[in-house]
Amino acid sequence: MDPLEHAALSGTDEAAMAAKAEDSPLAMALLREISAALADYLETGETAVIDLKSLPMLDADRDALADLLGEGEVTATLNVAGESEVRETGYAGVWWVRHFGADRKLAAEQIEITAVPEILLAHRDDIAAAADRLAASLKTDPPEPMTTLDRDTHHV
Amino acid sequence: MSDGRTLGQLLAQRGVSRRAFLKYSSYLASLMALPPAASRAMAEGLAKAPRQSVIWLSFQECTGCTESITRAHSPTLEDLIFDFISLDYHHTLQAASGEAAEAARHEAMAANKGKYIVVVDGSVPVGAGAIYSTIAGITNQQMLEETVKDAFAVVAVGTCAAFGGIPHARPNPTNAMPIRRLVKDKPVINISGCPPIPEAMAGTLAHVLAFGNVPELDSHGRPLAFFGDSIHDRCYRRPFYDKGQFAESFDDDGARKGWCLYKLGCKGPVTYNACATLKWNGGVSFPIQSGHGCLGCSEPHFWDMGGFYKPVSAPSDEVGPLAAIAVAGGAAAGVAAGLVHRAAKVKAKAAHTTVTVDDLEKTS
Ligand code: SF4
Repeated sequence: MDPLEHAALSGTDEAAMAAKAEDSPLAMALLREISAALADYLETGETAVIDLKSLPMLDADRDALADLLGEGEVTATLNVAGESEVRETGYAGVWWVRHFGADRKLAAEQIEITAVPEILLAHRDDIAAAADRLAASLKTDPPEPMTTLDRDTHHV
Repeated sequence: MSDGRTLGQLLAQRGVSRRAFLKYSSYLASLMALPPAASRAMAEGLAKAPRQSVIWLSFQECTGCTESITRAHSPTLEDLIFDFISLDYHHTLQAASGEAAEAARHEAMAANKGKYIVVVDGSVPVGAGAIYSTIAGITNQQMLEETVKDAFAVVAVGTCAAFGGIPHARPNPTNAMPIRRLVKDKPVINISGCPPIPEAMAGTLAHVLAFGNVPELDSHGRPLAFFGDSIHDRCYRRPFYDKGQFAESFDDDGARKGWCLYKLGCKGPVTYNACATLKWNGGVSFPIQSGHGCLGCSEPHFWDMGGFYKPVSAPSDEVGPLAAIAVAGGAAAGVAAGLVHRAAKVKAKAAHTTVTVDDLEKTS
């Protein structure tokens, strides 16, 4: 990018941030905390979690923080004892995680600083159970001859 | 009843993945203000724990506590707790009755010796040879003694079990006793409230399961995670209190503007509970948000505090230890409320004028 154009852009970014800071000092404070945690993660590999529900956040603060963090490339919806939602923010390594309980009531809301939030990973115990299940079903119930692999070979 | 399998294994068979444990633990860690990183340890702890045998004893009570904990809205996150415990005896909820019910209690006690948790709601009448309340031909006192003997811990849910509650109110005709007065050699966790907040009951049980120990308690035996702050500390009307803006009656201008309910008898300043943050009925509201002062239902002697509509005033015996906790916690609110300067009060009453905290603390 042309350095001048870049400077102009980041200038607007800064102006926008300054405007937000006035709107929500809490969001700005969180942004600083996130920035420090992200630097720590790069240096030491230590992940961090910020519990948003424990903070006296108003909707305006939440909106300001969401605006400041922006949207990333990944959004995942999980069906685990109700719904959960994991979104990457505009800053790689900064994730917005929301867990819903009954009646889609927000049960937990966190910012996670990590490569990938743990809840997205399949737990080793679940993988072990799945492997057993799959092996058992192969023994009792031979799979249909037409598999994805077969289909793919046709195309090749 | 537990059969040696872990909760992780048991629930996996029903399609509950380890992600659910992680999610439940994130939810609890947030509720209990545990460091967020503790949720992973909690998830692992829960998944490795056996299903917890729970024997629930109901004595002099109204069943409101059971109503509260079973008041789950739909089978999701919040009631995973019922998958973690095996409710081996609860005379209101169990299908068995009569001798079969008592046999279930004895069986659970024998099979889980030293490991089961006894939940008690209701106080125990000990007057007149304890005959005021009996179940299955024995007095409540006998049943309590017999059942806690081999327990790991006792959880007294509700203000009746924790502090005597309404049966204990003056003149206490049955000589009703709180559980802590009768159980001396086991840890007793008090989860007071009339009824207690369901999340406080579930969170405390989950803590015991996941970590195998009793959570940190306050001087009244209540988990600090839920009873560490007073209602007043976390009340959204607090800025009005601090500015001396009080409703004087339930239909005046101050009440309509949502001002502080202190003068209408709010017991928030001397009441420790999580209503202001967790709220009720799935987070919908809590008394102060609905326009009524706090009754102080999670405190000892709440029924005898001198009237629900009388402002809390000079520290009495009951207020003493609480005020001390408030100071220790860095929150002088409870003290300030107890020592409201009379002149400041009169001045505020005159026309909802502004009284600062400094005014309130300038005590005679
Ligand atoms: S006195 Fe009651 S209404 Fe007023 S701030 Fe305290 S808790 Fe809230």
